[in-house]
Amino acid sequence: MNAVVADITYRAMLGRKRIWLLVLLPVALIGMAALLRAVDGPDEHTAVILMKTFAVGTMLPLLGLIAGTGVIAPEIEDGTIIHLLAKPISRPVIAVTKFAVAASLLVVFAALPTFIAAYLLTGAESGVAYGFTLGALFGGVAYAAVFLLLGVVTRHAVTVGVIYALVWEGVVGGYVPGARKLSIQQWAQSVADHFSTSPFFSTDVTLGFAVPAMAIVTVGALLWAGRRLRVLSLTGDD
Amino acid sequence: MTSEPTAVIHDIGYRHYEGPRLGRANAVYALAVHSLRGTFGLGRPARAKIIPILLMVIMLLPAAVTIAAMAILKRPELGAEYPTYAVVMQPVIAIFMAAQSPYLVAPDLRFRVLPLYLSRPLGVIDYVIAKVAALTVALFLLLAVPLTVLFVGELLVDLPGPLHTGDYAAAMGGAVILALLLALIGIALASVTPRRGLGVASVIAFYLFTSAVAGVFYLVLSATGRDDTAAWALLINPFFLVEAVQSALFGVVASNGYPPGPGAFLILVGAGALAATGILLRYRKAASA
Repeated sequence: MNAVVADITYRAMLGRKRIWLLVLLPVALIGMAALLRAVDGPDEHTAVILMKTFAVGTMLPLLGLIAGTGVIAPEIEDGTIIHLLAKPISRPVIAVTKFAVAASLLVVFAALPTFIAAYLLTGAESGVAYGFTLGALFGGVAYAAVFLLLGVVTRHAVTVGVIYALVWEGVVGGYVPGARKLSIQQWAQSVADHFSTSPFFSTDVTLGFAVPAMAIVTVGALLWAGRRLRVLSLTGDD
Repeated sequence: MTSEPTAVIHDIGYRHYEGPRLGRANAVYALAVHSLRGTFGLGRPARAKIIPILLMVIMLLPAAVTIAAMAILKRPELGAEYPTYAVVMQPVIAIFMAAQSPYLVAPDLRFRVLPLYLSRPLGVIDYVIAKVAALTVALFLLLAVPLTVLFVGELLVDLPGPLHTGDYAAAMGGAVILALLLALIGIALASVTPRRGLGVASVIAFYLFTSAVAGVFYLVLSATGRDDTAAWALLINPFFLVEAVQSALFGVVASNGYPPGPGAFLILVGAGALAATGILLRYRKAASA
């Protein structure tokens, strides 16, 4: 961890237009929860739908993508990463620091709003709010690591990440049960399911698989990203 | 001790262009064709070709599978295949739109070459028209090619029963509307930022956000028995909005029940006009910067 690198990365993430994308989605989530509560009153089924389709199904991968690639990809695109790489800081340390920034942003902008929205709709009933918050937390950490790696590996990180999140997790995961085992979104849902007792919600990936898988993916992605940064070449693309 | 001057002005042969000047319309056409080629990676390095070609192949898969099913199983129930193609494949179309609309506008803003374009006969409006037209045609092709392949397959397999020419034509009409709406929205969102990555993220965020909001409200409202309101909630998703207009306009089947009346059409026109206004305001500012 390097405090200066973290500070620069925070400023790059929070000081530009990027912050609007980070803020708008959580605000929309809380707004929808408030609206649904105002119209129908607290309802557990509604909460599970909102959490599953919007919070974990849409907002989490999207924010993971924006934060995970945003901490490093623009610098590589600009070529300004060269100034950072020229400093006597170990490349894995840079990767870990950038990851920590992305993960902390996801805690603030994804996990916290998830808790607020779920709590608005259900209170502490059936552990839905706690479950989905923990799911968003763990899922957010895994997404941050994977998308950070994508940002280092390819210039088209956002597009590739979108294809993973939409086509693999969304379409393929919808039809092929085996693909669900390799989906961060499903792992996040397993965590959520473990802590909630809601009858409206069940998952088909066991916690015993999801937690080690998330740990391996996160650590593996970070190690690989650190290695890739050591041999990064700044060639033009288009 | 005065030396002879050594500097000499050489005539290196600069000449004025005296051929025909093709004018504004031709400049718009040239920019549109160049942009359209770029959206499919033509004239760009091999890495830029991977994603558009991959997405086109994915778009063709259902058509190929359906033709195979027709040929082997002699399955005649095909009518719903054409009008619902866009809705079924909506994530792929959305990814194409998100990946390619920033390519069309972001580099020109980022490298500040817009004034160079505008120093030619091309005006701001012409530039915007060329870019929107390029993306519209690209998105239309992405949808029209699989539909046409499917239709040609249907002709060749020659199943008993009537051809679905009406359904095919309606789907092509819907594809034009969808392509225009998505191109306007895509360019409007992508032109806000000069960064390509952020542009891709904001366009895909728009699609994911609208489709998730439509999904959540539809599920919640149907679960509490308010099916009429639930049908309206679906229209938040642009793909369902266009499908609603398509089914009302051409009288073909749709994948969901949509609210009757001209509501969907008005929302469609309103959304398109809003996006077009956004683009014009953005470029009025960008051109003077």
